[in-house]
Order: sequence, then structure tokens, then C-alpha cells
Amino acid sequence: MSLAIPQGLDNTVERPGERAPLVLGETTTYHSVTEMVSQIAERPPSRAWVIGFLISATLASWFGICIAYLIYTGVGVWGNMNPVFWGWPIVNFVFWVGIGHAGTLISAVLYLFRQDWRTSINRAAEAMTIFAVVCAGTFPGIHVGRAWLAFWLAPYPSLNLWMWPQFRSPLLWDVFAVSTYGTVSLLFWYMGMIPDLATFRDRSTNKWRRMAYGILSLGWSGSSRHWMRYEKAYALLAALAAPLVLSVHTIVSFDFAVSQVPGWHTTIFPPYFVAGAIFSGFAMVLTLMVPARHIYSLEKLITVRHLENMCKIILATGTIVGLAYGTEFFIAWYGQVGEEKFAFVNRAFGPYWWAYWTMVTCNVISPQLFWFKANRTTPWRIVVISIFVNIGMWFERFVIVVTSLSRDYLPSAWGYFGPTWVDWSMLVGSFGLFFTLFLLFCRFMPLINMAEVKSTLAGQLHHHHGNH
Amino acid sequence: MTDKSNKKLHGVYAEFDAVDPLLAACRRVRDAGYVKTDAFTPFPVHGIDKALGIKPTALPWIALACGLTGTAIGVFMQVFMNTFDYPYIISGKPFFSMPAFIPVSFELTILLASFGAFFGMLALNGLPKFSNPIFTDPGFDRATDDKFFLFIDSADPRFNHKGVARLLTDAGGANLVDVYEDDTSTQSPKWLWIVLGSVIFLSMIPLLLVARMRVTNSSSPRFHVFFDMDFSPAKGAQMTTSLFADGRSMRPDVPGTVAVGQFDRELDFYSGIDMDELARRDSGRAERLVRAMLYPDDPQDATADAEAAAEQPADAVPATDQPAAEAEPAEAATAPPAAESPATELNPAVVEPAPSPTGAAVTSEDTTPWLRKNPLELSVEVVERGRTQFDIYCATCHGNDGRGNGLVNRRAQRILATAWVQPSSLHQDTLYQDVYPDGKLFSTISNGIRKMSGYGSQIKASDRWAIVAYVRAMQASQNADVDDLPVDKRDELKKLKAEVEAKLAAAAEAEQKKAAEAELKRAEAAKQKPADAAAKAIP
Repeated sequence: MSLAIPQGLDNTVERPGERAPLVLGETTTYHSVTEMVSQIAERPPSRAWVIGFLISATLASWFGICIAYLIYTGVGVWGNMNPVFWGWPIVNFVFWVGIGHAGTLISAVLYLFRQDWRTSINRAAEAMTIFAVVCAGTFPGIHVGRAWLAFWLAPYPSLNLWMWPQFRSPLLWDVFAVSTYGTVSLLFWYMGMIPDLATFRDRSTNKWRRMAYGILSLGWSGSSRHWMRYEKAYALLAALAAPLVLSVHTIVSFDFAVSQVPGWHTTIFPPYFVAGAIFSGFAMVLTLMVPARHIYSLEKLITVRHLENMCKIILATGTIVGLAYGTEFFIAWYGQVGEEKFAFVNRAFGPYWWAYWTMVTCNVISPQLFWFKANRTTPWRIVVISIFVNIGMWFERFVIVVTSLSRDYLPSAWGYFGPTWVDWSMLVGSFGLFFTLFLLFCRFMPLINMAEVKSTLAGQLHHHHGNH
Repeated sequence: MTDKSNKKLHGVYAEFDAVDPLLAACRRVRDAGYVKTDAFTPFPVHGIDKALGIKPTALPWIALACGLTGTAIGVFMQVFMNTFDYPYIISGKPFFSMPAFIPVSFELTILLASFGAFFGMLALNGLPKFSNPIFTDPGFDRATDDKFFLFIDSADPRFNHKGVARLLTDAGGANLVDVYEDDTSTQSPKWLWIVLGSVIFLSMIPLLLVARMRVTNSSSPRFHVFFDMDFSPAKGAQMTTSLFADGRSMRPDVPGTVAVGQFDRELDFYSGIDMDELARRDSGRAERLVRAMLYPDDPQDATADAEAAAEQPADAVPATDQPAAEAEPAEAATAPPAAESPATELNPAVVEPAPSPTGAAVTSEDTTPWLRKNPLELSVEVVERGRTQFDIYCATCHGNDGRGNGLVNRRAQRILATAWVQPSSLHQDTLYQDVYPDGKLFSTISNGIRKMSGYGSQIKASDRWAIVAYVRAMQASQNADVDDLPVDKRDELKKLKAEVEAKLAAAAEAEQKKAAEAELKRAEAAKQKPADAAAKAIP
């Protein structure tokens, strides 16, 4: 088969009148795509994977132990105090929910806009969404105090309570938003994997493996009728997930914006939160994909152009976030509400000034480095900047939650929040859980959407052969 | 696979290498009039639905219906729950606040529409379907890798094996494969059912146990997975704590404060003393008394009252130096050592010298201006209340008849308790109202005397006054004459007396046979039920 693509490995150069190829390699064929992706799950795990898995699984176990300790002892083991009742658990919750947003954005919004470059990265980004939502959902679940009664959030006819949930509270909207988001993301991710799981099934040489992937792929045969309905369902899910992803962080921001706390009670929160979520999510995708691409030799599928596009989105959303920070200050001055002015001056120059300026440095300054093409196309620089963005976005949530609460209304009720070792353990442990799940996903599931990449490849071949 | 001729033909497929030859072949097969055809491809091939004549799917309508169902569920659920069934008042928002119901309705719309799209897709595709004859040939595995297959079903009306094979070959297909129906047994293996059945059965056991526990009673305490709020970390009485320097978990009243309901009458009511008169006679003592009532734990008052005791030592150091001071010789005989004395120097009755007419060592007159009259408005109810309280608190020692022979005393006599001081009989001249005013009796009940501890902390002040009233009634009953009664009641009393006497005599006789003589004599003495007469003695 001579279906090669006459292209080098640099596909970041724009050639007028020609589409830059999204799959590279002289000898890239349908079969080589299958090989490249399937061998990741078929070969024995590499040493790097084993070490990474052991570390992250240890941290994840520690997370579990901390949760058990918390449930056994009570929420007093956290640093949460009066008036900072939310503390790190909610900071971590908002951080992780935000991370998830990039996955849905890549899989749904870019799909709707026919951005074909998403095909190489959407699977991993969706997986990242699921795992981030798992981490996110853990925190409010244990933050309710009596975690074993968290099901009281559900509107069911309770014989214990004899009452219904309070549907005018953003906290309850949040329950619905995050659980819907988690469920729809899971459906979307799993549905996207069905054809690729069938590929794994058909390549299996081991009976048990064949059975496991056979069950997971639900008997997918690749029938054209099935594909037609599948694509329709995929488009529908994308169309549903796109407004969903915008609604989720909007509703998360309502947790703050609908309250009266100075520094929270602002209408800018929904768009600002959504932009921040996409910003942090893309940074996390890059943090994960650049090493994965290197370790699994996927440079031909996840090309520099993919990385560059994501860097551009980080630059755009990072600038929006920076603008939002500025707008908040402007409105605080322009609105001439004393408490509001105080809240923002206190953020920048109060006791938590260090958190604020860490946030500004990481979120406003570091993405601006992506104006330079060298930074957008050099993988190690991308990773470093992405990690800074992740740190900055964690601090953004810290600044919003902690500085506003610690200086709320009466000066007599002010306090200074400090985390405990449990807070630290849970933050690090949630990363352990996240990476454990992600590494398991890399090991056992199709890391790249083979069917879609082949479809993109078919388009390229079609174009080149010109027999349309 | 060994003998294909016995199996029913399912269809024929041919293999293609690329999209374009496949699409051309599809069109050719479609134009040849075949309708039961399908293509199997590793990725969705655009244009193939037209090339094969596949009709559009109804999936969007399913998703729309599910989405609208979600909206309806969201809206009606919230309106029902928060507007009608359980309306909360939240920040003055209306019970029907549609804007607040939008987010959840929106999320449910998305959720159900997504379910509709996903599960609708699976249902329309007939998935999951784990057994498919087309998977039989290993060459078909490449349908999910890099090969394209065009399939013509044997159920097609135009199906003809040779013709189909020629058509597919002419259209560029290679490696033609005949697919046969899968005739293996559709029965599930027996072991699967056994395993499944056992798993279901075993998983029911804990559920049944839980269900049984929920409907039956048990004498053993509830099993707690989580402690919830069933176990309060609050401290009980007499427990210690590390929170306060003195180690006491129960905190004393803040000095100088008055609890609600603590002093809602004038002080006379709580002390039994005419405080105005006392202040006139001895302002220092009155002041100390008030301080002692307000600051019960203040050690300064202890010294103050030790002083008071020194001034009027008669009762403060009761038994040792004046053994015969009290009315009853029995008490004198078994006089407690000073250390066991009530020692409540704070207590106004005790600091007062008790009148001891029989004692030789009377050192001073009782100068305290006791209230002479019970401040309660007397009625049958009050006396009945007093009787109840007397029977609860006093009768165990003083006896129901007040003659000082309650159960505790009888027991003490029986075991010959050496340190026992026999309780006073209330029926003696020294305790009648003319020499032992109501206020003083009240104070004695409140603060105790000799071995008797004070009951002020256990019995409400009004009940203590009720007891005083009852004691007076009891005393009156023992010295009453028939003439004290109204004329029309006298005969009744006489009749009653005869009856009671007969009854008591019978009871005493029965008791005589089995009980000790001393006790028996006392039982005979208690011939009359004092209370009946007492109630009548009140005008």
C-alpha cells in the first residue's frame, strides 16, 4: 500500500491554499495508526509507567487513608475554621472541576466547530475530564461533614427527613450540574471508545483479554448503519455537552456569586470562571500529553501543530482571565462600594498578598510567553509553562475562596486560614488519584481515537489523490 | 465450520483496501437492486449511507423527547417540592421562583437527552450483541483495523450465491467469504446459571437480615457504623474535664447573677425570715445572709458565717458542747461528732440558736424574726401538694405520720446503727407553731438540722412552704378535738374512727405475730391516718 503522505514532521508552517496535515509520516497508513495506538496497551508496561504508577497509586492510597481518617475523626482535621468554612476542600473542588472542562471543550465544542485537529487529543482529554471530575466530586462529598449522609442531597422521599432539598440554593444546583457533567462526560468518553475497544478486541490474542474488550465494545462490528447512528449520537452528545460544559462552571461560580460575600458577589464570575476552567484544563492536557506523546512515541499523531494550537488557546483564555482580574478591580473602584473596594485591595495587599501575586504571575504573565513561537513549539517549555498555569489556577481558587471568607463582614470575626497536614495530603493525594486513573487508562484503553484519526487520514489521502 | 453445507448461509462479503473502491462497489450493488446490504468499515465513511441507500435515523427525535421529559421532570419536581409540598422561606424569595429552578431543569434536560442519544443509539443498533455470525472468519477482524467489507445478506430477495459472488468480484472486492448462521446452542451453560443463582441468593442474605432487623425489636443496643449524634461528647454530672482549671465539668453559677425564676418572690419567701425586721435588728447579719444566698460558693461568706457562728454558737457547733440541747434524748445519746454536723455555716436556720427549753446549756434567746405565718395562700390543694412532697422527701425518715419512725429509722433500729440519730417526731410541743414559727420550720427544711441535710436544692421553695402547711395540718390533726369539726361531719368522723381503729387493730394483730415487739408498739400508736383529719382541719 502506498498511501504515504509527503510531509515532514513540522506541520506548524502555514502554506496558503493548503491544509496542514494532522497526521504525519511518510508511511502512515490505517494499519500503522492501529499499531501505534494499540501497542501501548499490548506491550508490557514500560519501567517509566511502573514507577509512575507506583508513586501515584501510593499517593492515591494515602488520599484514601486521609479520607478514612477524616470521616472517622471529623472535619476538624482540616484547617477549616471560622470564618473560612470552605477552605482547601472547596478550593480543590473548583480546581478539579475546572481542569475537566478542557476535555469536554476539545471533544464537544471543537467537534461542533469541525476542528479536526482535536481527533488526536480528544480521547485523552475526555479521560482527563472524567478523572478530574472524580477528584472534584470527592471533595464536596467529604466536605459535607457526615459523608455517609451525602445522599441527602438527592431529592428522594426520605423517611428520615420528611422534607425535600432546597432548590433555590446554588449548592444544590451544583450537585445536579457536577453529577450531570460527570455522567454525560462518561457517556461521551465511553461511546467514543466503543469502536476502538472493538479494535482492541479484534487484535487480542488472549482469550480473557478478548472477552474483556469484547464485553466493553458491546459487539461493535463497524456496520455502516451503526456508524451512521453512532455519528448522529456523537453529534447530539457534542451539541448537548457544549452548553453543559458552559453551564457547569457557571453554576460552580454561582456558589460564590449568588452569595453576599464581598469579593464573591460579582456578575463577572460565570464567564470568568469558564475562561479560567478552559485555561487550566488545556494546561493540564498539555502537562499530560507532552510526556505521554514522548513516552509512547506518538509524535506523528499528536503533532507539534496540536501542541501549538492548544498553546494558542491557553494564550487566549489566559488573556481573558487576566482581563477579568483587571475588570474586577475596575468595578470595585467604579462601583464605589466600600466593602467591595476593601475586598479587592485586601486580596492584593492584605495578609494573602503572596497568594494573589503568585496567581497573577502564573496566570497573567506566564501564558504571555506563548506569543513566541519557540515557546509554543518546544515541548519542554510548553510543559513548564503549563505547570505554572496549573499552579496559578489553583491559587486563583485559593485567593477567591480564602481571602474573601477570611475578611468577610465584621472585623471581629476575621481570621487567618492555615492548612493542616490533612489538607496538604488531600491535595497531593488527589493528584495521586488523578494520575493513577490516567496511567491505568493509558495502559488499558485506547489513548488516541483511532477511528477518528483514520477518518482524518482518509480525508488527507482523499485530498492528495484528488479523485473526489 | 467442518461441514458448511449443513449450515444456513447468512450472506457473503468481500474485502476492499480503500474507501473509494468501497464506495464504488456500494453504488454498484445498490444499483443492482440489492437492499439487504451493509458495509463494515474501521471508521465512518462519509457518503456511504447514500451509496448504500441507508435511511436517516430517528435518533434526534428520541433525544429531543428525552430532553423535553427531563425539562418537565425538572420543573415539576422543583415546583412540587419547593412550592407546594415543602415550601421553604428562603431570603424572602417567592415559593414559586422560576429563575432559581432553571439550572436544575437545564441539567436534567441535558442529562436525559444524553441518555436518549446514547441508549437510543445502542437500542437502534441492536447493541450489545455479543454473538454475530459475521465475526466467524478471522479475516473480518481487520474491519476494525484497516480493511473495508461489503456484505450482502442472504435474506435479500434478489440473493443468488453465484450472482452475488460475481457482482462483488467485478466491483473490485477480494477474498470473498461465505458467512453461515451460527447454529451453536443458544442455551447458556448450566454452570453460569448456578453461579449466577448462588451469587444472587447469597447477596440476598444480608438484605434479608437487614430487613428483618428493621421490623423486629432487640434488647441489645443499636449497632453504629457511624456515631452520628447519638453519642454526645457533652459531660454529665460529676464528670471531670480538662477544659477548666478546677476540673469540674458542671460550671457553678456566675457569682452575683440571678437565674430566671430563681428569686421571683421577695427574699422572705426564700429565707423564712422577715428580712426587713432582721435588717433593723442586726444589719450585719442580714447582709451576710443575703450574700450567702446570692454567692453560695463564695468562700468569703464561709468566714463571715464562721464569725456569725462565733457570735451565736449554740447551733453552729451543735452536739458536742451541749448534748442535751435538742428536744430528744435519743439524739443526745448518739450525738454526732462536730465534724459530721451540717456545717453549713451559711445556713440561716443553723446559725440560729435553736430554742432548747429542756437543755441546761441554753446560751441565748432566738432573736431571729422568723415569719410567723406561711406566705402561701392556704388551700386544700396546697396541703395536698405538701403531703405529696412530704411523702416523697420527708416520710422515709420522719414517717408518714410524722412521728419520726420512717422506714429508714426502722431499718437503722434493726441493724443497730450506732451513728444514727433518730429523726424528730413532729408532734411535740417544741415544734408547734407558737414556739417554732413557720419560717423557722421552712428554714430547717431548707438547710437541715443536726444529721438532716438541707433540702433547699431539691425541693422548690413553694413546695417547702406547702410541706410546712402540711406539717402544721398534721400537728393539728393529732391534737384536734371532735368539736373542731363542723357539726355535720362529726358523726362521720366517729364512724370513720371506729372503722380505722378496727382495721388497725386487725392489722396490728396480724403484724404482732411476725414482727418485733418494739416496732409493733409503734405501729399501734399510729392509729389514725393523719392526713384524712389534716385535710378536714383546714377550714
